[in-house]
Amino acid sequence: MELLKLLSTNEIAAQVITFLVLLFLMKRFAWKPFFKVLDDRKERIASEFKKIDDTKNEVAGLRADYETRISLIEDEARKRIEQAIDEGRKAAELIRQGAREEGETILAKAQESIKQEAAQAEEELKDRIVDITIAIASKVVEEKLTFEDDRKIVGRFIKELEKK
Amino acid sequence: MHEASVNKTAELPNIVSLIAERIKGTSLAAHLITWENLIFSLAIVALIALLARSASRKPSLIPGRLQSFFEMFVSGIDDFVCGIIGPKGREYVPFIGTLFIYILCMNLIGIVPLMKSPSTSWSTTLALAICVFVYVQYVGFKELGLRGYIDHALGRPRGIIAFSVFIPIMMFILHVVSELVRPISLSLRLRSNIWGDDMLLAVFAGYGLPAVPLLIFNSLMAIVVSLVQALVFCLLTTIYFTLVLTHEESEHNAR
Repeated sequence: MELLKLLSTNEIAAQVITFLVLLFLMKRFAWKPFFKVLDDRKERIASEFKKIDDTKNEVAGLRADYETRISLIEDEARKRIEQAIDEGRKAAELIRQGAREEGETILAKAQESIKQEAAQAEEELKDRIVDITIAIASKVVEEKLTFEDDRKIVGRFIKELEKK
Repeated sequence: MHEASVNKTAELPNIVSLIAERIKGTSLAAHLITWENLIFSLAIVALIALLARSASRKPSLIPGRLQSFFEMFVSGIDDFVCGIIGPKGREYVPFIGTLFIYILCMNLIGIVPLMKSPSTSWSTTLALAICVFVYVQYVGFKELGLRGYIDHALGRPRGIIAFSVFIPIMMFILHVVSELVRPISLSLRLRSNIWGDDMLLAVFAGYGLPAVPLLIFNSLMAIVVSLVQALVFCLLTTIYFTLVLTHEESEHNAR
């Protein structure tokens, strides 16, 4: 009961009112505005982070898109190069084949002409032999020489023939 | 009365008591002595309110020094209370936070020369404890309803005859007593700790110069005690709210 003497009803009431006043003031000046500021900031940070994430995703999407595009372009380029190489190869082949064919025809023509010339020469030779033989025969007949003379004449003709 | 008189003689002089001493014998002096604690309380209220007002006058997303201090305090209390009560605790943060800063300032002001801790007076701390008691009971009624509130007081388990009559009645009495004792224990703990600290300071001050190291050490201790006592008061208040609210939650879960 000694303890109870420490208490004063008036003071308790006054202190309750004081505290309630402080509570009211703090609610108005501290808690409400600061909660609002903190919540606003939290919200803003969250939204900024979301924005950053969105942008990141967008960038990643764009990058993937570009990468596929680049790979497509590379494929296309490779294909074109291969195609060009093929075409080149084909053209070379064609040229080579043409050259070969031309060469063959030239060769064939040359052989043909050689053959013709050889045949012609042979003909000419034959003609000459005939002419010579006739000439020899006519000379032999003309001169009616001795056997010795005949041999000399024939020998001379043969020598002439060799000289030719 | 005896303790009160000891209290008075042992206390260090403060600005109000000095003024009262000057105008001794007048009715104003008597009033000053009677309302000494209230005067300091009002001064603290004015100080806190002014600081809060100037901190929140132009709240900006990028805070200044005072604003960031208050923000730190607000979010600290918010984390503390919501950590114990849960997301529903937001509602009680202003009450508990105001209690904390008020009690802390009341405790700390006693260390300042020519000032006095209003929390050395039981009337002050009891007033706060009564506020807590009333608010907790109000929340109990609001959240549980009259039936739920009585049901809560009757306790668990119930079922068999002994359990359905005898034990609930005992539990009810126990509950009422424990509820009523709470403000007393809450207020006496705070008042006695701070009063003890201030008395110690007064006694050391009485020894003069040789006691200065002790005085400094005790002042540092007083800062710690002030903080711890303010925390304890608020922690217990938060727990009282939790006890009322968790019952309601478990009821909901049971249903």
